[in-house]
Amino acid sequence: MGLIQRLVEEAGIPTISMGNAPDRMAHIKPPRAMLVKFARGSMFGEPGNVKRQRRIILDALEALQTMSEPGTIQELPYKWKQPDPE
Amino acid sequence: MPIDLDAFKPAYEKWVEESLPEFRAGNMKEIVKKYPLIAPDDIPWTVYNGQPSNQTFALVTSGGLYLKDSQPPFDTESIHGDTSFREIPKTVRQQDIGIAHAHYDHSLAEQDINVVFPIQRFIELENEGIIGKLTDTHYSFSYVNDVVSFVTETVPEFISRIKAAGADVLFLVPV
Repeated sequence: MGLIQRLVEEAGIPTISMGNAPDRMAHIKPPRAMLVKFARGSMFGEPGNVKRQRRIILDALEALQTMSEPGTIQELPYKWKQPDPE
Repeated sequence: MPIDLDAFKPAYEKWVEESLPEFRAGNMKEIVKKYPLIAPDDIPWTVYNGQPSNQTFALVTSGGLYLKDSQPPFDTESIHGDTSFREIPKTVRQQDIGIAHAHYDHSLAEQDINVVFPIQRFIELENEGIIGKLTDTHYSFSYVNDVVSFVTETVPEFISRIKAAGADVLFLVPV
């Protein structure tokens, strides 16, 4: 996915991606990414947590507007099966 | 070209040869570490201008999603992976979606596809005017190792489709 992201960004469309593995992200260098503490196969936490899914997307929309350096990765605080911070 | 394919090709062929026994045995951890793809230090960048509320968004996942009734599943057997992609309509329902990807646990996405492909959340944001528009079609890739034809053919085709759909921003969810 990092490769797709790089090529799309290069083609003139801004991108933002989710990620959960800092070592893999350091290797592929996505232009903009949100880093979560969730395992493979569930970048938005436990299934059915609609509020959190929405919140992560809103975080990403905010990041799109504020990230100004190529390769910026923003770490999110959410934890599996734990309440989200206020 | 962000990836040096001339350098990648021989390194990849060597990796395939050396990794096949481990791949067939399902020992992915070690062979993943030796996979030869290296991204250059320069990072592509397109300045983001404007507001989400007047822009069109497209989604892409690498979760191996396909439409059970009308699309073939991805190849999950080959060490090369599957370089193709599937178009997933905005109107898709959870029960329409199959998952063909041999290298992650599908059980969470089978309960709620939004954890790998948050289409329902994006539809809600579109209805509320928080994003301007969601494209009618979204995309899924699966597991890919052979990036040569992927970089030279598949991704350029993918880019021409999202451009034709009027996407201003691409949101990517890997697995």
